[in-house]
Amino acid sequence: MEANLEIKKETTINITRRSGSGGGVLKILLFIFIAAIVILPILITVFASFKTLPQIGSESALKPPTSLNFENYKEVLKSTNVFVGFKNSMILVVASVVINSLLSTMVAYCLTRFDFKLKKAYFAIFLVGLIIPGIVTEISRFGLMTNIGVYDTLLAPILIYAGADLMQIYIYNQFLQQIPVSVDESAMMDGASYFTIYWRIIFPMVIPATATLGILKAVDVLNDMYIPFLYMPGEEHRTLSTLLFNCITDPRTSSIPKLSAAAVIVMIPTLVIYFIFQKYIFSGIAAGAVKE
Amino acid sequence: MFKNNVKMQKNLVLVTFLFIPTILISLFMIYPLIRLVALSFTSWDGLSLTKTFVGLTNFKKILFDSPEVWVSLKNNGIYFVGHLLFIPIELFLAFLLDQRVRYSKMFKTITFLPYMINTVAVCCMFIFLYSSQDGVLNSMLQFFHMDKIGWLSDPNIVNYSLTGVSLWKFSGIHIILFLAAFQSLPTDMIEASIIDGASTFKQFYHIVLPNIKPVVEIVLFLNVRGALQIFDIPYVMTSGGPNHASETFTVQTINTAFQYQNFGLACAMAIVLMIIIIIFSIIQKKLFNLKG
Repeated sequence: MEANLEIKKETTINITRRSGSGGGVLKILLFIFIAAIVILPILITVFASFKTLPQIGSESALKPPTSLNFENYKEVLKSTNVFVGFKNSMILVVASVVINSLLSTMVAYCLTRFDFKLKKAYFAIFLVGLIIPGIVTEISRFGLMTNIGVYDTLLAPILIYAGADLMQIYIYNQFLQQIPVSVDESAMMDGASYFTIYWRIIFPMVIPATATLGILKAVDVLNDMYIPFLYMPGEEHRTLSTLLFNCITDPRTSSIPKLSAAAVIVMIPTLVIYFIFQKYIFSGIAAGAVKE
Repeated sequence: MFKNNVKMQKNLVLVTFLFIPTILISLFMIYPLIRLVALSFTSWDGLSLTKTFVGLTNFKKILFDSPEVWVSLKNNGIYFVGHLLFIPIELFLAFLLDQRVRYSKMFKTITFLPYMINTVAVCCMFIFLYSSQDGVLNSMLQFFHMDKIGWLSDPNIVNYSLTGVSLWKFSGIHIILFLAAFQSLPTDMIEASIIDGASTFKQFYHIVLPNIKPVVEIVLFLNVRGALQIFDIPYVMTSGGPNHASETFTVQTINTAFQYQNFGLACAMAIVLMIIIIIFSIIQKKLFNLKG
């Protein structure tokens, strides 16, 4: 594996050399152009969050703020409950990731190790899950949520995030398939039960995958606006996303500098996750698509 | 005796491991789906206890008596075509990133940055950019002595503006998927082409592209699903306005259900959307394979 990577590096270097140094400069220019398109809107928002409303009207948006004026941030913290939003988002993330990874690995363990009647049904559901448009099917799930009494509680999103994510089960299934059954068999010889095998052998072996998928899931949950918006209208149940959505229409926070400050606050958690766990995020996305 | 014990243990594992996930999936995935189909034949308002069976009335209404539905689908079409046109560019950028030019790791990080940012925060950023008064884009136009544009207020432009936001946010994920595909290719394939003296472009077109076909197909499918389901961006930025001009199919479906209390019709719309996604994916796949 290591050797393979080395060879790949060598050849890629060759390719770049062959395409000539002129191409190299063009590529860098292209990358800089793309980077500018990505970074400028973010930079403009960060700048605006430190400016006053008259400054927004009179200055160029690209002009950095003259001082780090935190007035807008203070105002946002005063008129919205950012801490409650943060707390709710964190509860959703932790509960969803933990429950989902446990349930998904358990299902994947059964799917990859045993033959049973429901197995075919499970694979059929994976396919259905791929086709159904999640946003509109929420209409019929809505009545169910009110009926079982979880409407406007944190439980509603948790049940959906943790219990109805087929994609995660599917990817765990791919990971577990790569663990040879002989590992289980030799443990079995030593007298281990299926439960012990799952808990002492399989689960520890998929921890790297769990980290990857858990981080991706956390980002999804943090950035989702739709489910909390639909199921948790109560002010005390706002998440970071729905809180920011509310800021757009709330006259206390809807001016551009204040809205920018609120947006910066809300984007920080996922960006921190991104910069720390980037490697895991990329490999998780690759696992979903390439490992067919 | 021993064998029996193993078999019993197996059944015990299956029951304990699959019990909760199966209930959750049945309750939150399968049951809503069946309910969706059932409700689509009723005129239910979402509240009353009686659900009147109306046969195919809802479907007839969507097909023959709802011009606004077709207008919204046309809006979805703008997102679809926009992202489709970007796919070759994304492929090319991923190919360049794969060649590990200097700083390409940093550019990979930047490319994927928008995808990680909370959608509502992205919307806030672009509300400022598109704003008609102090907006960044209009200030730039003024600087060049050009007329202001109603980015979000002109019915003829608003959908393109929103598609721009969608492209900014979602292009990164396609690039990362393509990049993962490139990196999974065996290196001797590219090596052989170098010995043959193939140019970068030829190498890309004839050797690399056919081999990442499965991932291109996945991205094409994700694009159909994503473009037909686009919800957050129009809902947060314009709530479908001005005067319904930027309503997408999902925005309209959600409004039909929760604003106009017509759950039966909304469920029928959800099913129509599902059918459109399936048909579109099949046609696209056929066309793609014809070309490839």
